[in-house]
Amino acid sequence: MVEMENIKVAQGHNKVLVIGGGLGGIRTALDLAESEKDVILVDKAYAVGGLMTQLDRTFPTNNCDLCTLSPNLSESGRKQHIELLTMTSVSGVRGEKGNFTVSLETAPRYINMDKCTACGECYKHFPECVRFTPGLDHRAPTCMRYPQATPQAFSVDLEKCTDINALIKICPAGAISPDDMGRRREVRCGSIVLSAGAALFDPSGLDYLGYSAEPDVVTNLEYERIMSASGPTMGQLVRPSNGKQPKKIAWIQCVGSRGLQKGAAPYCSSACCMIALKEAIVTKERFQNDIETAIFYMDMRTFGKDYELYLNRAKNKHGVRLIRSRPHSILRANNQDGLRLSYTTDDAGEMKNEDFDMVVLSTGFKIADDVRELSLKMGLTLNASGFAMTEEFSPVETSKSGIYVCGMSESPKDIPDTMVQASAAACMAGKDLEVSVKDPDGDLPPERDVTDEALRIGVFICDCGENIGGVLDVAKIAEYSQSLPNVVIAEPQGHGCSRQSMEQIQKSIIENKLNRVVIGGCSPRTHEAKFQEVIRRAGLNKFLVEIANIRDQATWVHAHLPEKATQKAQDLIRMAVGAVAEAHPLKEHNIPINKDVLVVGGGVTGMTTALRLADQGYKVYIAEKSDSLGGLGKVLHSTLSGVEVRPFVNDLIDKTKANANIQVILRAIIVDHSGMPGMFKTGMQTGPQMFYRTIQHGVTILATGAVANRPKQYLLGESEAVGTQLETDALLADAPETVKNWDNVVMIQCVGSRVPENPNCSRICCQSAIKNALRIRKLNPDGRIFVLYRDMRTYGFQEEYYLEARKQGVIFVRYSLDQLPKVEAAGNQVNVTFTDPILGRELMVTADRLCLSTGLAADEDSTEDLARIFKLPRTSDGFFLEDHVKLRPVDLPVPGFYVAGTAHSPKTIRESITQAQAVASRAQTLLARDSINLGAAVVRVDSNKCAACLICVRVCPFDVPFINADGYSEIDPAKCHGCGLCAAECPAKAIQLMQFEDDRIVAKLEQLFERMVG
Amino acid sequence: MENFEPVIVAFCCHYCAYTAADMAGSQRLTYPANIKIIRVPCSGKVDAIHIIKAFEKGADGVYVAGCLDGDCHFKNGNNRASRRVEYVQKYLDEIGIGGERLEMVKMSAGMGYLFAKIASEMTEKIRKLGPSPVRPLTVQASQPTAS
Amino acid sequence: MITAERKPLEELIEFVRPFKRILLVGCNECVTVCSAGGRKEVGLLASGLKMALLQSGNTIEIREHTLERQCDPEYIDELLPMIDGVDAVMSMACGCGVQEVARRYKNMPVFPAVNTKFMGASERPGVWAERCQGCGNCLLGVTGGICPIARCSKRLMNGPCGGSVTGKCEISQDVDCAWQLIWDRLKELGLEDQYLKIIPAKDWRTAGGGGPRKIIREDLTA
Repeated sequence: MVEMENIKVAQGHNKVLVIGGGLGGIRTALDLAESEKDVILVDKAYAVGGLMTQLDRTFPTNNCDLCTLSPNLSESGRKQHIELLTMTSVSGVRGEKGNFTVSLETAPRYINMDKCTACGECYKHFPECVRFTPGLDHRAPTCMRYPQATPQAFSVDLEKCTDINALIKICPAGAISPDDMGRRREVRCGSIVLSAGAALFDPSGLDYLGYSAEPDVVTNLEYERIMSASGPTMGQLVRPSNGKQPKKIAWIQCVGSRGLQKGAAPYCSSACCMIALKEAIVTKERFQNDIETAIFYMDMRTFGKDYELYLNRAKNKHGVRLIRSRPHSILRANNQDGLRLSYTTDDAGEMKNEDFDMVVLSTGFKIADDVRELSLKMGLTLNASGFAMTEEFSPVETSKSGIYVCGMSESPKDIPDTMVQASAAACMAGKDLEVSVKDPDGDLPPERDVTDEALRIGVFICDCGENIGGVLDVAKIAEYSQSLPNVVIAEPQGHGCSRQSMEQIQKSIIENKLNRVVIGGCSPRTHEAKFQEVIRRAGLNKFLVEIANIRDQATWVHAHLPEKATQKAQDLIRMAVGAVAEAHPLKEHNIPINKDVLVVGGGVTGMTTALRLADQGYKVYIAEKSDSLGGLGKVLHSTLSGVEVRPFVNDLIDKTKANANIQVILRAIIVDHSGMPGMFKTGMQTGPQMFYRTIQHGVTILATGAVANRPKQYLLGESEAVGTQLETDALLADAPETVKNWDNVVMIQCVGSRVPENPNCSRICCQSAIKNALRIRKLNPDGRIFVLYRDMRTYGFQEEYYLEARKQGVIFVRYSLDQLPKVEAAGNQVNVTFTDPILGRELMVTADRLCLSTGLAADEDSTEDLARIFKLPRTSDGFFLEDHVKLRPVDLPVPGFYVAGTAHSPKTIRESITQAQAVASRAQTLLARDSINLGAAVVRVDSNKCAACLICVRVCPFDVPFINADGYSEIDPAKCHGCGLCAAECPAKAIQLMQFEDDRIVAKLEQLFERMVG
Repeated sequence: MENFEPVIVAFCCHYCAYTAADMAGSQRLTYPANIKIIRVPCSGKVDAIHIIKAFEKGADGVYVAGCLDGDCHFKNGNNRASRRVEYVQKYLDEIGIGGERLEMVKMSAGMGYLFAKIASEMTEKIRKLGPSPVRPLTVQASQPTAS
Repeated sequence: MITAERKPLEELIEFVRPFKRILLVGCNECVTVCSAGGRKEVGLLASGLKMALLQSGNTIEIREHTLERQCDPEYIDELLPMIDGVDAVMSMACGCGVQEVARRYKNMPVFPAVNTKFMGASERPGVWAERCQGCGNCLLGVTGGICPIARCSKRLMNGPCGGSVTGKCEISQDVDCAWQLIWDRLKELGLEDQYLKIIPAKDWRTAGGGGPRKIIREDLTA
């Protein structure tokens, strides 16, 4: 029997089992591994990656997913702390938190993964052995699910294979192993994370949508496959019916969500609006005016951070048509080529017919049957739709102690929210383990001394799917690169950051005895470290690589001018080749890490993060600018699900104060900050006397919250009858008698949000309106409640409360920006006038109470100061800007800084708690190390040239250089920040900044103009 | 000179301008291909010599792009860069190339649109100024047969 | 330190215009410290000259070299291998360096690239101010450590003139009155009496009035 994954599963229980190797599971596993904790990651598929690997691109960056995901995947294939078990399912779980025993069943792969080189010969000759293909075509070009598959191996479907001996013979590596029997085993673990993902609603049963009958009606996932470069059409957008390019495409939202169709889920699937917008934008980007796009929707739910801007971009820049309507039917018109959609809109009384070439159904997410079964087997309490239930303020804890849930298994959500929850689950699951002993660094080969070698440069060009390869001819670029001086080998590398390509590059370096490497690919900001690792594994010093950013700086920005993009890509590569010739081996510097944590902000988020980290033994300082803990959480009384907030917040405050590892500093105003991750120093003025003190810490967490928005509108602050939802929440708790007497209540949504001054959605207002409407209803069942809204954005399970409110007779009336409601004072009441779009008439309600859904706004005063002191970027509306919207949603771009809660963007308490836990996990990935790597980008002084002029001493922003006893400038590499100011001003040219030496910069300039001269 | 395509070197600091350029890419903003970016850790790292060498090698325009005031990752590198750029502008006037071919710009990491806008404006400006008085001569000097 | 400032480029262009190949020599001492003629300025000037000349159709080859010190013959010998084949030398050192290069390479035209200004100190980064005129007979011991020769516009020896207003010299509001400074400092030191003592008329022969000066240390002479 062959052990497929060739991993000996250790029998200790001090590890976390992660079920599901989608994006969420990978994030959880990586967070735990980086925090030096052991993980078993199981996935029933042949390779990890989950649903995301089937998407073409993801919003809002419109990156190709493979590129953003693959660095994570290859990492997860590599990390020492992770045991990856693919084709493996969980058949049973016994035991309790701290000591679970889990039965695993691994299906046979029939390929020895140690031998398989993924050459593809087996597939070429026996394509019928394909077991799984995503998307449309069951005969996809490869049986690997996508080019960056981890683990890197094929799998064989023995049942479909007619001539096994021939198959065995065809494999040059001798990897085919028909005797493979799979295996069962038991593993022990301390805690479990369920991140099994979601399945998609199957629209086959809905005749009127024509999915079963019409090939040109596809689901959104199928559309992704059609658009994907690795999909069945190799990225050609064609109609399945006739292979021609469509001219007009419609999207239909809420298929299988919001309880609309037979068998549909009652909840909102949360991500489909953005997915449809993304698909429409990407389609428009590719085909411009050659294609028309229209989205038929009920409510456009772009509630995430900056998503409203994305919606505006779709509408205004790309001309995506948005039609608020639920089409009645999709039929193929008689003898017609197109599909006829019949629908009505608010303003038109009669049915409209419009023909489209393709229709995309935005199918919602649901829990797969096997996941539901597994959850029940594990003893989890599930809601009616099969999602694992959690308490309001314990967002990732299932009903069973020691088992946590994240991603779609908890509720439908998009990638950023999944990533946040995955980190939160890592934090909570990791808490149940004992601290494990650290493994030494992997066994790297010794570094080859290249100082006396003649230059041998290798150039590897990524096509990055369509991103580069779609604009220019990668093979030609490689050919061109081959002609450059000192270049020994130049070749296209597909997705250079894929595991396979990285291994090939590594091999090529060794085989061709390369001593310098140039990657033509994406940004060194994101990928330099990856390629440095690759060349280090090939025995080269990691600083002998240059990256030419031919994606971000050429193909992405000059996509419409392929010739110029090609020319520029060649220029950039030539510059990199010239520069890498000047690169020298460098040594990195390490210093011990300070493991204390500074949390700025003592609200629910700050306290939650602090407690999670304090639990793990870290000392935490909470700097709170007001004179008490609790933040906005102290003001709020009830959540949508009816849970009281106050007891929770008070309990949190008590726990925080009682924790010996937490020091709370009240009335703390941060005034200065210096240092680097692992050794920060922050100065603050504290207490009533404003004493100055400094704190030394290793990481900084911003949990500074947001403020309740109060725009001067609709008589807010002028009439007693007008208040915000937050004030209404307080009245409901403190003065129910008053509320009882409200016979007419009007609520206006999006006050101060989704307007030109503040274009973003405030996310929380729709649910708080529903929450207050239901509570008012309870107190006064006969009163009338009008909610004036633009789009009701009750995402996820909130939708069920929205349905409940409708059922209870709350009246929802839509208004638009060009027809705002009008409010006039009328004694103790206010007259609210609005237009009913269906009646097409103006109505007036004399309201006892007008509740304005004003949402949250960034706390401009404090975030501006903090952004300046900490050097952090903010969004245009003043929230802190995370490092990567999708993959690093709580990491800030400055290393060692994290953000959580409403300082990141508006969100509910539950969501803030999730982020707080996520941040605790992310912080641990840094704190778990003993030393930090300062890199090698520091300056060096040539004492022979130094004139001891003092210019470096004076110019250094960090006071590092000094004139030593020998009379020369000395700059401590452990303290140098690597800015290079001294190097730029040294009049004797005695100082060079490593990696940015003058020779290297001048080489780039020389090479840039080589073309013109030569 | 109607078809004159200037070559413009943009020295971009890693933390703001270079990130903004990446941002412009991920937002698929377009800007002229004439702009060639050289990454530096801080705009204050851009030596006067680098700027002068860029012109000597044949650049028609150069700009140094750093962080917004007060946002420099290294405290004040961007302001030192501004002052240095002013100094080099005067030297370019002396040389006869003209200080207006050199600029200092500042942007934050999130300002992909500004990066694209500045790239377009700079290209237009240099296009109007025409080729650097040094460039064609450089080409001729090195390759008399070049057209 | 001896301070200097690069000459206007126009003037330098005229110096080198007749030549095809020159050697540009910097000095790693004073002129480096005052950012006028170190390795970096040599690089900047070489590029600037080449580009300026190109515009009138002239090409010039410029070899660059920076000496540890341009006022010592042994260092200047270093230039020997480089000087072969050049038409002229341009020195970025102070006047001493220029002359020493000229003395060593007799057949070579030598041009100054900087204007040597004064012996001065660095008041703050980027600002150098005159402190000494090398009069050969130092008075600082009696003037509170402030030199009336270098810092008084009129080189007055016994107190300020009538142009001293609120501590500033009448030639410019930017110039401190040296005698005000001297008085303030003597007062601080409790040496007001010193101020009342008359300093006799200065013998300017030591300041060069007696012809070019020389120092000889016999024990060190070769």
